[in-house]
Amino acid sequence: MSPTWGVWAVLLFCTGAATAQQVPSDSSRTDSMRTVQMASMVVTATRSEKILEDVAVPVSVITSDVIKREGALRLSDVLANEMGMALFDDHGMGLQVQGLASDYTLILLDGEPVIGRTAGTLDVGRITVKGLSHLEIVRGPSSSLYGSEALAGVVNLITAPPVEGMQGSASFRIGSYATSDMTLQMEGGRERLGARIVVNRYASDGYDLTPGIYGPTTPSFADWTGDLRSRMVFSDRVLVRLGARGTIENQESVFASETDGLLEDRYNDEGRRLEWSIHPEIEVRLSDKIRLNTTFYGTGYQTETYHRRQDDGFVNYEDEFDQTLAKAEAQMDVLWGTKHLTNLGGGVIGEQIGGSRYGGAGSDPNPESTQAYFFAQHEWLASDLLHFNTSLRFDNHSDYAARVTPKFAVLVRPSRKIRLRASVGSGFKAPAFRQLYLSFTNPAGGYSVFGSLPMNEGIRRLEAEGQIEQKLFDISQLDPLLAESSVAFNMGGSVEPFAWLTVQVNAFHNNVRDLIETQPVAQKTNGSFVYGYFNLARIYTRGIELEASIKSQLVEQSSFDVTLGYQFLQARDREIVTALKEGTVFGRLPSGRDYRLGLGDYTGMFGRSPHSASLRAAYINRDLDLIVSIQGRWRSRYGYRDLDGNNLANRSDEFVPDYAVLGAAVTKSFTVVQTIEAVVQVGLDNAFNHTYPTLLPSLPGRRGYVSLEFNF
Amino acid sequence: MNQTLLIRKTPAIFRNVWLASVAITVFIGACDSASTEPESIPLETQLAEDVPADPESGRDPTTGRSISNNLFTLYDLDANQIVLPSSVTDSAQRQEDSTGTVWDIGFRGTTIIFNGGESGSGEASAQILVQLFDEVVEAPAGGYTTDGENTTCPQVQTPVGPVPGSKLAICTGSGNGWYNYNPDQLLISPIPGRTIVMKTATGNYASLRILGYYQGNPNPPDPNRPSRYYTFEFIVQPDGSRDLRSTIPDS
Repeated sequence: MSPTWGVWAVLLFCTGAATAQQVPSDSSRTDSMRTVQMASMVVTATRSEKILEDVAVPVSVITSDVIKREGALRLSDVLANEMGMALFDDHGMGLQVQGLASDYTLILLDGEPVIGRTAGTLDVGRITVKGLSHLEIVRGPSSSLYGSEALAGVVNLITAPPVEGMQGSASFRIGSYATSDMTLQMEGGRERLGARIVVNRYASDGYDLTPGIYGPTTPSFADWTGDLRSRMVFSDRVLVRLGARGTIENQESVFASETDGLLEDRYNDEGRRLEWSIHPEIEVRLSDKIRLNTTFYGTGYQTETYHRRQDDGFVNYEDEFDQTLAKAEAQMDVLWGTKHLTNLGGGVIGEQIGGSRYGGAGSDPNPESTQAYFFAQHEWLASDLLHFNTSLRFDNHSDYAARVTPKFAVLVRPSRKIRLRASVGSGFKAPAFRQLYLSFTNPAGGYSVFGSLPMNEGIRRLEAEGQIEQKLFDISQLDPLLAESSVAFNMGGSVEPFAWLTVQVNAFHNNVRDLIETQPVAQKTNGSFVYGYFNLARIYTRGIELEASIKSQLVEQSSFDVTLGYQFLQARDREIVTALKEGTVFGRLPSGRDYRLGLGDYTGMFGRSPHSASLRAAYINRDLDLIVSIQGRWRSRYGYRDLDGNNLANRSDEFVPDYAVLGAAVTKSFTVVQTIEAVVQVGLDNAFNHTYPTLLPSLPGRRGYVSLEFNF
Repeated sequence: MNQTLLIRKTPAIFRNVWLASVAITVFIGACDSASTEPESIPLETQLAEDVPADPESGRDPTTGRSISNNLFTLYDLDANQIVLPSSVTDSAQRQEDSTGTVWDIGFRGTTIIFNGGESGSGEASAQILVQLFDEVVEAPAGGYTTDGENTTCPQVQTPVGPVPGSKLAICTGSGNGWYNYNPDQLLISPIPGRTIVMKTATGNYASLRILGYYQGNPNPPDPNRPSRYYTFEFIVQPDGSRDLRSTIPDS
């Protein structure tokens, strides 16, 4: 089969749509499917199905086999051991891609965005990986197809289409800190109709790394997720899919608040989170060469937090947040001859938020935004050796200036074993809701933060109340915030020197400008400040990502899979680089002595390790139905705070030391009766029991677990 | 005088040669009838500890926010002592103690003022140098501004273009003057390698380095300690010259 054929076969014979991440199990197309399934198909990078190896940008896939054998429960568990993915705890477990914070990575569920960020962080610990077929990771910007937030990368969680026939599974797992996971999965279908329901409960008592301090390190919680995926085939040409998901989480904790010396008040900390999404999709094959996909997507995210004093039930802190998003989109895929594929799409998005931090005097209590967008992509197979992909997106948003975002990528295949990839593209991230609409005064600290829209009114009100000591500058002439944007280069390739070895390398450079930062705009009479959001910083991240995959067949029925990853990273603030070059940056030793710093002393932005490594290894014995998996990660030290006033980490007490986290799991399957299979898994996470209670409260100590699953 | 220049350029060897330099300056002093012997020897680096700069004076009973007097503490560098603490709220006494040239420098929160210009009736003015304190062996001849006359404060970059900063001699705001504010840790740290060089209220030259902003000057700085307590070291040259060579303080 020629490479060209491999690419187009997908479009001609499958009704899997660009935005739908599935290849439907339509029996009339089984023959062509079989050939396609030999290669790993991905959809995220080009919004249409493509063989993984033929995508011109860096993409990786983590299959459900890997997820299961490692005993991963949450998305954070899976991503932690993936090359170049770093998790950083800041209001939840955020994912850093190519050295850029969680704010700049888009998380998709079947191609549609997961919403709900706190201080920019989308907590990947809140998403279950049960019921997924695989997940795809695209490194580098994809804003030319997905718009805002797809600046550093895109992670797409993909569910499998419901099977024909009936099957199900039930699993139960219990582990340290009373952490439990229960999952019930049922699916069934016929040729034209199928559905799957997954119900998952994930709960934990939390853990306490600081027994001397009142209150646990992490709260106890119980999280329920229900998920439905269904398909309806109306004719050979029309396929309808419906996805829906709901999550509810309750968490409880306690803490003590010290007031004036030794007196302390004890509080209960109660939190609730509610998430839902609904995702109908209609796919119509207009002809053998034209496909039309129409998607509707609605999603909501709500949180509530209360701090209730134990003595008298007084609620001294209350925070609510409510976000909804509605989206309608259409995409048409057109095949021109055998060498050209065009994807055209467009849509509208409406978004609304509410909550206690919004709607302060003078600001809209339920700010709404609307957005219309259009994108186009063209893929040209100039020859077997050379593929070009060009894409462009236009976003017109109610709250920031219209944007045009292009990307260009090329794949060169000089031989069957060598692929070279190069791409240049732009990414952007819209100002976050808080950066536009926030109206918040901290009850304890007394400081205020205003988004760009309520800023004028907020300052005027504080002034009228006599709370403003001095305005640092005239804020009345401020323009709207700009989106943060990047220009990124990715260049690399993959080589298969032997049948059992694949080596992939990618060098990246992300040049990001107009980063939004807070800056004081006025000083209050109580001495604290009023902060606003401004396009200020410019940073760059650059580095090399390296991955070696070994797949060796030891004997007939046993094999050994090892994936080793390494990332070198420099994430730098341009202002600091300039100052270091000018010699105007100093450090202060604990002794009080000041000394001059040079560029070589710059360890990069906070929370970024210059070196990191990852490991996924598995021994699979099919005779014994046994899998032994070892997985882990190592990261070099990283700066996390500044003590000596130079805005960078230079003293040893400003770093989190390097650390490694290693886990292992053993999985054994049995046939109980003819149609029921039992899977037993025993595992250990953080086997070396590394903890840094104050530096890394999000890293619990050694944890063991046992799980039992029945597949029927 | 060439000897003096040599010493200025090679501060590292200063420790070893300062006795020799005393002898030289004494010799030069003997030739120059206008100066007297004691003022020409290297000056002592003085330390001021926990100077309150309008610290918290109470809590708002309903909101729990901290309250302070919103007043400056005025400090006399020559005598190394407080002239008028921020805790004194009597306006008649404040009026009396703040006029004249006894005080040189004032502190309120992160704001520093000098007895001159819009801040006082003295001759004080100041500038901030990007230079190690120990390396400032001679005060610059120019570059000083009084409070209210400084037009060099970093402009605030906004989408509509730069907006001027404060007019105080030492610019206010994180990163603009003597400190950086770290919002993640709510920590105010003096910027290392920044030396305030000033003229006192009576026109003498002085240099000053701020060591800490928290009570007891904890190391590392601890934002949980009471804030608005300055610890700083300084040198005052009483003879009117720009010579700021110092003894190296014992560590």
